[in-house]
Amino acid sequence: MTRHLVRLIWNRKRQNLLLTIEILCSFLVVFVVALFGLTFATNARAPLGFDTDRVWTVDVGRPRSLPGADAAANEANAAREREVFTRLLAAARELPQIEIAAGTFTAPYVNSSWGSSMTLTDGRQMDLLYNRVTDEFVPLLSMPILAGRNFSREDAGSGTDPVLINRKMAQTIFGEADPVGKSIPERPDPREHRDASEPPRRQKRVVGVMEDFRQHGAYSIPQLVMFDRLSLDAPNGGVPDRLLVRVKPGTTVALEPILVRRLQREAADWSFEISTMDHLRERKVNDYLMPLTVLAVIAGFLLLMVTLGLTGVVWQSVIVRLREFGLRRAAGASGVSVRRQVFAEMAVMTTFAVLAGAAIVGQAPFLPLPDGLVIDPAIFTGAVALSAAAIYCLTLACGWYPSRLASRIPPADALRYE
Amino acid sequence: MLRHYLTMTLAVLKRRPFYTAISLFGISFTLLVLMVVTAIADHALAPMPPESRQARMLGVHSATMWGANNQWNSEAGYLLFDRYARNLPGVETLTIFGSYQTVTTYLGDQRVSSALKRTDAAFWQVFDFTFLEGSPYTAADVAEARFVAVITQASRQRLFAGQPALGKTFEADGQSFRVVGVVENVPDIRMTPFGDVFAPITTAKTDAYKREIMGGFHAVVLARSTDDLPMIREEFNARLAKMELPEKGFTSLVAPFETAYDSIARESPFGDRKDPARQGSKLTVFLVIAALLFITLPTVNLVNVNISRILERASEIGVRKAFGAPTRSLVAQFVVENVILTLAGGAIGLVLSALVLRALNQSGMFAYAALSVNARVFAYGVVMAIAFGIFSGVYPAWRMARLHPVEALKGGPSR
Repeated sequence: MTRHLVRLIWNRKRQNLLLTIEILCSFLVVFVVALFGLTFATNARAPLGFDTDRVWTVDVGRPRSLPGADAAANEANAAREREVFTRLLAAARELPQIEIAAGTFTAPYVNSSWGSSMTLTDGRQMDLLYNRVTDEFVPLLSMPILAGRNFSREDAGSGTDPVLINRKMAQTIFGEADPVGKSIPERPDPREHRDASEPPRRQKRVVGVMEDFRQHGAYSIPQLVMFDRLSLDAPNGGVPDRLLVRVKPGTTVALEPILVRRLQREAADWSFEISTMDHLRERKVNDYLMPLTVLAVIAGFLLLMVTLGLTGVVWQSVIVRLREFGLRRAAGASGVSVRRQVFAEMAVMTTFAVLAGAAIVGQAPFLPLPDGLVIDPAIFTGAVALSAAAIYCLTLACGWYPSRLASRIPPADALRYE
Repeated sequence: MLRHYLTMTLAVLKRRPFYTAISLFGISFTLLVLMVVTAIADHALAPMPPESRQARMLGVHSATMWGANNQWNSEAGYLLFDRYARNLPGVETLTIFGSYQTVTTYLGDQRVSSALKRTDAAFWQVFDFTFLEGSPYTAADVAEARFVAVITQASRQRLFAGQPALGKTFEADGQSFRVVGVVENVPDIRMTPFGDVFAPITTAKTDAYKREIMGGFHAVVLARSTDDLPMIREEFNARLAKMELPEKGFTSLVAPFETAYDSIARESPFGDRKDPARQGSKLTVFLVIAALLFITLPTVNLVNVNISRILERASEIGVRKAFGAPTRSLVAQFVVENVILTLAGGAIGLVLSALVLRALNQSGMFAYAALSVNARVFAYGVVMAIAFGIFSGVYPAWRMARLHPVEALKGGPSR
């Protein structure tokens, strides 16, 4: 039976090839949407690692100052800026509506992020999401610490750099072993430009493991994350770009101008821009969902177009082949069996198309992908399976009406039909 | 002849309305997507106020500075333009202005965010804003660092509830500005002139910007004529190539004068930020490939439907062939018929895209955008419809024309 079917399809190979190509293209379209959708759905189930309820972020704009030639002047300027930032934190904490304030370089849902990379002594290269935060950052965002502890004052002057890493990074580097207290086996980057005047790089010692820090929100891909401790008393730490505060329940927007004026009083030539985390999150969610929605709507219309087109084509081919079907009916085949033949031919073509489509998308993992774009094999095969199922449903739906037509026509009429 | 084709096409289309509907749906949807994308690109890139003289404009919107171990991508700094972009040959006016900065105004319990752009006085000569009230600030205002501002219509709505704003003051980012002019809104997809509030460059909180070659500033020149544009670009590139970089660890800097499109291409993954040559063509290649990929499925779909329809008309083809019609004229007839069909689909697509664009304008997805199907977009739409018609018509026409006359007369090929 299968051989016979394949032969029938082969006999009409030119038209069937075009139909197969159309089904193949539809498969690819569905695959892209399914891949995005499944990736987002999988990501959304992973923990965020923080809670932004009642959190505001203040963008701190300092007059940019490039490092000049005079090292002493640079350090004096940096020290002054650190001192100003310390005063800003203190001023924010003094306001009765503010529960806690922290300094940080990047924050959840903001657009700028800080990427970094390191090479381990075993040669593994890792790209990670990096941040430098003050001690209050972790409690401010209610970030769960799974092992060890948050940064604290006792980390100052310890001779090593204390770091917090997320669970994924702990597993990547240390496997199942307890990472707390261990140093990250890092190999210095030979390309890195270091002056003789700078102190030698220090070991990074893990003080704690956080659940995660999915800076770009629920739909973002989980990354390796590492935080350095930012101490505004110590040199070389830099000056944070953001001040985070958590306000008491019931605080309204009326606090914003009060906070800005209070901060402005400490630093007249700096700029402050407050956003609530709720607003930033909404914008970020939109950044992820908007392209997917546009893509899905376009794909939906494309599939509707394909469904109508295929129905028309199959219908036409059934009409052309009525004599053939009539002959089969006359020779004793039942209507159901004729109908099954139409469906089976569609299924064989769909199978060819899906196999070809799977072979094409199967090349994707071997392509040179941009950094950070990792294809999860489970999601990938899931997307292939989902789109294959969708395409089978689609082509069978296209065969529904024409096959009914083929099975309904009385054999005598069919044989007479010209 | 064409009239004959037209009559034939209409007759065929009327014969099987289901197939006609399928074809028209696919065609109009495909052209709808292409036209909406074209209209958005047109609104972002075509010359229109306040960039009516765009043909004579070039701007520096991105800069890259690098050395052996470092690369710094951002906008260029004020100092770079102040020192190297003044007195370029062929330039009528040069304006230097900052990237917009989001600032907040508190009105009682309400917060109003505005995009504040700090500019020089020449900004108002290069860009032709339409003033609804007052006038631009002057070179004297900029030199004296007066706290004056030009705001857009939308800002007037937000800050002053739409009342006349001239002479009124408002606070933004802790500074108080007096309104001297109100201009029409600028769509945010026109990134070069976009802003809600414009104020003199000298009102910045510090003058640190005057000492920096990287970060936060744009320059746009208005050339005397379009012929001067290549010269301006080359002269500025030559000056930058000769400059000595003050920063440690950096050896080269590229920040060319270019069109907005070239600048977008430079910052896209397809552009090379270190190459001072124009980058637009690389983005164009990508966009053409993307458009071709998009129309693959609709084309294959239409080809399949068309081939099905051939069989409908087998007897007609048989008669024409039997009377000696050459293949070429049959192919021509069917291609023309298909083009007429796609043009009809394009007309539907045009109406639909006008509706979609209106919905987009209302959705606020592109702030202050007034997307529309203008003459240019219409022309692109017609070209795309014809191209789509030819793409999807040639193969079925060729198949059709090759039908054997005897078989065709009998009602189509047996297989």
